Amino acid sequence: MSCGDPHDTDCSEVLAELWLFLDNECDHQRGELLRRHLDECGPCLEEFGLEEHLKALLARKCGGDHAPDALRHRLRQSIREIMLRQAVLSAEVIVQQNDDGTIVEVSTTVESHAWLSTES
Amino acid sequence: MGVVGVVEADPAQPVQSSPPEPSFTEPDLAEPGPEGTTVPARPKAIGEEPPPTASSDQSAEEPAAQETPQETPEQRTARFERDAMPLLDQLYAAALRMTRNPADAEDLVQETYLKAYGAFASFRAGTNLRAWLYRILTNTYINGYRKRQRQPVAQPTEEITDWQLAQAAQHTSTGLRSAEMDALDRLPDSDVKDALSQLAEDFRMAVYLADVEGFAYKEIAEIMGTPIGTVMSRLHRGRKQLRDMLTGVARERGFLRDAEVAS
Repeated sequence: MSCGDPHDTDCSEVLAELWLFLDNECDHQRGELLRRHLDECGPCLEEFGLEEHLKALLARKCGGDHAPDALRHRLRQSIREIMLRQAVLSAEVIVQQNDDGTIVEVSTTVESHAWLSTES
Repeated sequence: MGVVGVVEADPAQPVQSSPPEPSFTEPDLAEPGPEGTTVPARPKAIGEEPPPTASSDQSAEEPAAQETPQETPEQRTARFERDAMPLLDQLYAAALRMTRNPADAEDLVQETYLKAYGAFASFRAGTNLRAWLYRILTNTYINGYRKRQRQPVAQPTEEITDWQLAQAAQHTSTGLRSAEMDALDRLPDSDVKDALSQLAEDFRMAVYLADVEGFAYKEIAEIMGTPIGTVMSRLHRGRKQLRDMLTGVARERGFLRDAEVAS
């Protein structure tokens, strides 16, 4: 379908690719062609405007949820526990001499991580 | 008592693998630990010349400066915290759109993050972390999560859209669209979220990832594990349905009179 005015690209072609254009998925050359059509065709431009508007509306109204603090806290704790288990497995062994002269192996402790216990 | 085979690394000095002095004379370099033991302040204990009583394989530690380039769990955790945790809100929002209830969304995000943390060693820095996390989220949801969902999946939709597709490639008379646009703008957030939640899952995710998260088609294809053509088709159908639904809601709310609806 066409709006009746002569265009290099037919309206139906443009409308079929409107979303590609809107989503920035057209190659440059094709994008320029569509842009030129939209500049000279009111009905197509209006259709484009509505789709663009709808896209922006969704972005504005359907995002922006915040994860509950309890979830964030729980995750940090779980990750810390997993890390500590891994760290114990890979902990270096040091040798220590006691007062009575016996030699014992002692695992090094893992450094505390301030970021794990504080909310950012 | 004294520490044998361990010397605390001084960050201000170059590490020496063969100090001139016997190492067991340097306990003052380490912080006193609990129960009178001497615990190095850093886990990077430096191996020294073994005393005659210690077997040599107990002191084969590498100097700190020659540590393997491989990440320690601590470094990996810090990297995860720095790079992945700031995306928690986004992932939670996406999980909420997928599961459509907060309790399920929390469980899903938790499972996703623990999986991601477990696999983080294999994640190559410089690649797209956000897409990687969304991929795990989507897989976790599809492979199992969906089955034990608290809410039933909303509606079958493949057939619903075909009549809508028929009106795809034509525009209607000028003047009506701006009324529709204004009406959609006046809808409260909850109406728009509800409409999105009524889309079939695959359409919903494609629309969400493209329009809310701003992912490119190629990324959505990777996240959803489908060809790009499928992404485009889902996006096309999802948006059509959504626009139709929202126009209907706007009309119900009285924001749009029948005469103003372009059809």
